[in-house]
Amino acid sequence: MTTAWTEARERGSAWLLGAMVAIVRHLGWHAGQALLYPITLWFYATSPGARAASRAYLGRVLGRPARARDVARHMFTFACVILDRVFFLSGRVAGYEVRVQGVEAVTDIINSGRGCIMLGAHLGSFDVLRAQGRNSPVQVHPVMFRLNSGALTRLLERLAPDLSRDVIELGAPDAMLRVQECIERGEIVGLLADRAPASDRMVEVPFLGAPAGFPAGPFVLAAIIGAPVVLCFGIRLGPRRYLVRFEPFAPRIALRRGQRQEDLRGWIELYRTRLKTACRAYPFNWFNFYPFWREVPDG
Amino acid sequence: MQAKSTGGHLTTDEQATPFELEVARLIVEQLHLETDPAAIDPVAPLFGEGLGLDSIDALEMSLAISKTYGVTLRSDDPRNKEIFASLRGLAGFIAASRAG
Repeated sequence: MTTAWTEARERGSAWLLGAMVAIVRHLGWHAGQALLYPITLWFYATSPGARAASRAYLGRVLGRPARARDVARHMFTFACVILDRVFFLSGRVAGYEVRVQGVEAVTDIINSGRGCIMLGAHLGSFDVLRAQGRNSPVQVHPVMFRLNSGALTRLLERLAPDLSRDVIELGAPDAMLRVQECIERGEIVGLLADRAPASDRMVEVPFLGAPAGFPAGPFVLAAIIGAPVVLCFGIRLGPRRYLVRFEPFAPRIALRRGQRQEDLRGWIELYRTRLKTACRAYPFNWFNFYPFWREVPDG
Repeated sequence: MQAKSTGGHLTTDEQATPFELEVARLIVEQLHLETDPAAIDPVAPLFGEGLGLDSIDALEMSLAISKTYGVTLRSDDPRNKEIFASLRGLAGFIAASRAG
């Protein structure tokens, strides 16, 4: 796994999170929220790469050229979600309104004694989902790539020792064995399926008007294990207001012999379509601040 | 699944035992690798460098091993580092588990 690749992504949020944790610990959510304005301004001013990525995404999802204020709003939403992570992870959720939609998609599976694979995206808050998992009757295991996210990881581990224990860490050869063991026990395994370590196999499909690479891994994994697949998004609706939305995806993912590539592409296209719908409904919740689309020459 | 190349890491002179070759054949067949099983260095890494397998391949491999030999790889096995280190480690684990 390329270290620079991961670190560049994590650096911004690690810095922000560090500042956030210190502030909200001592002064509370309102003080943290007020500071998001200068922090966003700083992030905007010092991150030309993130600005360009935001502008490219927003132009596609909004269907019009993105203005500076759109980009600023996008980054502000990102900062808000990072602030809220601190509260979700440490379990201080009293001031939050979290609406849950479509949870039957999961409970029907779990109540029948089966495990399930939950696919999310870098859309909204991952940690509102993890916090929601505290209410789950079975363990919820996020599959995460923690190897290179040093400072960020250490901070989060301190905030949520209970959740940290359930993480399945990518990197070791036996990581996916653990995924299968969890599913066999009737538990839930969650993966974000819109981004992958640089070494992962990618499948390119049209997304918001241009080809973009999605990782094959989550879908190949689901096919091997044969577990039901559910989609899940933790959307920020406003200050301390979130929507946790579950959607059925597939009773099982099958990749037919001799048609693996075609079938795989079909599943990824289905995921892409559902993700696109969620992006259009909540455009400022998308947090992939790097060039998501393959460079396509003009004309 | 796409086939993987071996990346030309066939540098040692170690010879595979007949059982190691059998396990190598199973891996190549199961993972649709474009590699000659006999060309797999028994002491070279299977994952990351060397043969270049990933953790999803490991899961597929473990299912095939379980089906063929009745031996189950577990994520909490303290010997995993050794088992996944090379064809020799893996074959050794299978042989020992079947005997035991």
